[in-house]
Amino acid sequence: MVAVRLRRAVMRRKEAGVAVIKRKTKKSYKCKESLVKTFGDQRKCLWHKLSVNGNLLGSAALSPFVASLSNHLFPSGYERTQQPKRGIGKPDCTSLHALTAAAIILPGLFQPAAQAADDEVDFQYSHYQEGRRNIYNTEGLKGLSPIEVDSIHGGAKIKLTDRIKFAFNYTQDTWGGATPITTAPFAAIGNHISKSGASPFFEEPVRFDAKLNPLVRGLSGALIKNSQLVHTLSTASPETRKQGDFKLGYEWDEAELDIGGGISVENDYESHFGNINGRWDFNNKQTSVNLGLSYTNSDTAAIPDHDARSYSSATAYFDQIERVETADGNLIKTILHGNRQDWSTTLGLTQIVNKDALLELGISYTRSTGFLENPYKYVTVFFIEPEKAPDSLGNVTAKTRAFLEQRPDERNQFTWNVGYKQFVESLDAALHVDYHFFHDDWGINAHTFEADWVQPVGNDWTFTPRIRYYSQEAADFYQPFYFSFNEFDERDGFANLKFLPAAHFSSDQRLSGYGTLSGGVTVSKQFAKGISLDTGFEYYTHQGGLKLGGGGEGEYADFDYWVANAALKVNLSALGQSLNSMGNDPSHHAAHSGNAPAGVMFAHTLDKAGDMMIGYRYMYNNQAGDMLHGDKPVNDPLVYNNACFSGGGSGRLNQCFTTPTEMTMHMHMLDLMYAPTDWLTLMLMPQFVDMDMSMRASRTSRDVNIGNAGGHIDHHISSGHNVGGVGDTGMYGLFKLFDNPNHHANLGLGVSAPTGDVGIQLRRNHKLDGGLIHYGMQLGSGTWDFKPSLTYTGQMERWSWGTQLSGTKRLEGRNKSGFALGDLFQATAWGGYGLTPWLSATVRGVYTWQGRIKGQYSRDKIDFNNPSENCPKESFQSDDGEGNIFFDEESFNACIQDVEIQNQALINEQDVVHRSNPADFPGNYGGRYVDVGLGLSATVPSGSLAGNKLSFEWLQPVYTDVNGYQLDRDGALSFTWSYGF
Amino acid sequence: MRTSDTTLPLFWLVICFLSACAPVQPWERGNLAKPQMALDPYPLQSALRAHNYGSREAAAGGNAAQGGGCGCY
Repeated sequence: MVAVRLRRAVMRRKEAGVAVIKRKTKKSYKCKESLVKTFGDQRKCLWHKLSVNGNLLGSAALSPFVASLSNHLFPSGYERTQQPKRGIGKPDCTSLHALTAAAIILPGLFQPAAQAADDEVDFQYSHYQEGRRNIYNTEGLKGLSPIEVDSIHGGAKIKLTDRIKFAFNYTQDTWGGATPITTAPFAAIGNHISKSGASPFFEEPVRFDAKLNPLVRGLSGALIKNSQLVHTLSTASPETRKQGDFKLGYEWDEAELDIGGGISVENDYESHFGNINGRWDFNNKQTSVNLGLSYTNSDTAAIPDHDARSYSSATAYFDQIERVETADGNLIKTILHGNRQDWSTTLGLTQIVNKDALLELGISYTRSTGFLENPYKYVTVFFIEPEKAPDSLGNVTAKTRAFLEQRPDERNQFTWNVGYKQFVESLDAALHVDYHFFHDDWGINAHTFEADWVQPVGNDWTFTPRIRYYSQEAADFYQPFYFSFNEFDERDGFANLKFLPAAHFSSDQRLSGYGTLSGGVTVSKQFAKGISLDTGFEYYTHQGGLKLGGGGEGEYADFDYWVANAALKVNLSALGQSLNSMGNDPSHHAAHSGNAPAGVMFAHTLDKAGDMMIGYRYMYNNQAGDMLHGDKPVNDPLVYNNACFSGGGSGRLNQCFTTPTEMTMHMHMLDLMYAPTDWLTLMLMPQFVDMDMSMRASRTSRDVNIGNAGGHIDHHISSGHNVGGVGDTGMYGLFKLFDNPNHHANLGLGVSAPTGDVGIQLRRNHKLDGGLIHYGMQLGSGTWDFKPSLTYTGQMERWSWGTQLSGTKRLEGRNKSGFALGDLFQATAWGGYGLTPWLSATVRGVYTWQGRIKGQYSRDKIDFNNPSENCPKESFQSDDGEGNIFFDEESFNACIQDVEIQNQALINEQDVVHRSNPADFPGNYGGRYVDVGLGLSATVPSGSLAGNKLSFEWLQPVYTDVNGYQLDRDGALSFTWSYGF
Repeated sequence: MRTSDTTLPLFWLVICFLSACAPVQPWERGNLAKPQMALDPYPLQSALRAHNYGSREAAAGGNAAQGGGCGCY
């Protein structure tokens, strides 16, 4: 039977036009007689050997086995010269026939090797978008756009030896938007940020009836009961978090030990973590036990919300607050410092239940100590003075204050989980169900139910719908707001701590009672050559009404979000095999592209139809040092008086209150290349950009006080500006002009699509919109751009050289924000020398010209005072008593003039906020630049990573001549990784 | 190994209870080896989802010490 199946399989492969396996090793693979007796027959013996030496349990453990087995059975090229690997090479019981036979009765083993990546590179992008929250009284108020998060992830797993694995990951998130900072009854009228004078959070006083129901004044003027609660939202300008982590693992035949660690850094939070995990397999690998221990140490350095600071108290943390002042005593900022530590241990068990089912059990314990507060969440307290008698209607009046939340300094958390995975034979699908129970000593109990259905649908597509339900109880110390029946004594300072209602209090929605329901789908496609693309979408809704057993938080706290993500995984082991199998020399590709420095794009075309290349490109660019005007450094007074000029006929001169001190850009690009024909290479380059900029007050501006800026500029710019997200997407075609062994030339034609955001705004301060951030800090050009290039490369023995002309022509006169970046032209030439067969060095010269920005930001709509409303003509008429009406034209004109002056003042005020830095003016962009580049380029010559190419290049500015006034340049670094197949 | 001497029988007890002690021979594990039966078929996406849940829910799960930042928003 087995033999027949084997023959059929061989026939099918022959029909499909592929060669049948031939082994070059002459080793005989058979079980010893004694072993065969033990196991009953040759096949079982063989399987025992394989499964014990390979791992048959758990995906992580399982896949290397499947990979090594299927590689040995059906290597992609169907002819292998490599020595068998661990677990297969050593045993004395392997024979090709037995192996094939055994494998054929196990269809599950014919998985593409990509499932089992020993060497894998992956990239992921995701976008998180929260829905608009209901804030009742302030619907539609500008500046309260919901939270958005853009994340990228890049990672690599490398097998250093047969038993040692190494993995590293880089993750970066940029987030911005409005988030609740406290909760209060509707009567307190939070969110009135635009109201002048009053606190941005509360309108005082707030009245309550005898039963402490909040009262609001109705249209008739009477007080009516209104128990509606409302979140007070605060908007944050974008901020970026970066995380790097690694894992080093050692595998034994029946065990594995991993150690890992990493660091996560953001402006106000930094955490360091380490972990160790072990896995042991027992019982013929039917059972596997995992034990893990991890430790995290995190430091908070929070700068409280600027607008909230004066209306709220963090006095309880007096010892933890640092005051940063200028030399002349101006408060720049206060920083709240805190440290927390988390220890966590997990114990898990995975069990094969039967041939179609797996069971997982786990328990974990986490102990957190230290500063566990969220430093941006406040609790609203209404102080009702006991001495003060209620009014005639029995109503009382309360003073309102906000306090930074106070949580216990310790938290012990337990989680129990059980998971079950069932294979459904008839549909070739798998059902995964999981349940988690969580309990902590803050009084929170939570349940999570999750189910996934993984359904392969042919042609290497897999659909995975999933659903998740979560429900939690509120923490003991959670309340949306608090009363205190003590007199609030202003003289004791803001936080009269002894009068606070409780030792611990929080109004953070995450500690309230609620339920969430989420669902989504993942669509995965496995492409040839070991590449797979997973895309996912999930919708999530958080509702008080979804809490298990009822009693959740009110509707005011409900919100929802969606997340979309795309992940690209590249299995280098599989690629390497297909490369070897095609008889290609991996270094061939390298040699072809090995001569262009890392900073040069479009220099390399693919060899022949069907070829592909995947690459990653990182570019870093820094500006710092002097302010330049043309090619000369200039001092502060010159910048202050001259750099902020709008230009053009309607242009007007502002003063530059601030001047940039440093601007840094990081750009991550994915480089995907495919050759549909021998003479054309198509390129797709999605990118992710993040930038930060720091600035200082110009020395002259400290003494000035205009509008709301002037005197306290320092604290507005203390945290710098930070943006990040998807940049523009490049789509190019490279046409081979000529291609002989030593000389190559190509013409590149393509466009850059405006996928990067050009409408990023700074947060509101002092009741004024922050306005659009500096032109150079937007994530893209906002216009469709034409990007041609012409490249020649040559090589002779160890030498290589090349030259390129390239440009960017904006195809539109202005983007949706009202401007277009300047066109760009670049000429470059380089020479390279091969130091060793795998390492070469390059020297390059670059000349760049870029035009100034055209157009300018559309001015934000201002609620101008309307002259005819403010100066009604009737008010300037008078009656002399005899029927003659006089019109006082002089007063009327004066009134109109006053209104116009007021309107001009509004414009000025907006300009002070929006246009007070040289980078806010279109004339201060572009210039002429000369740079010299030094580069190194290496190609992995052999081993499983053969053909991977890494290049670095540093560009050193040697001449800079800027338009207008700009910050000097420090230099730029390029790094590329690429792999052709 | 004193600990495994004592812990192992305990595990077996649990396992026998749940699996009715049906041994699954290595050559019967083809279905279990399929990618759809992997313990986590999409680990990258799982990490992302865990990060989102972790910044929105009180029960962050048992992996508090794997980084992830403040999630203060």
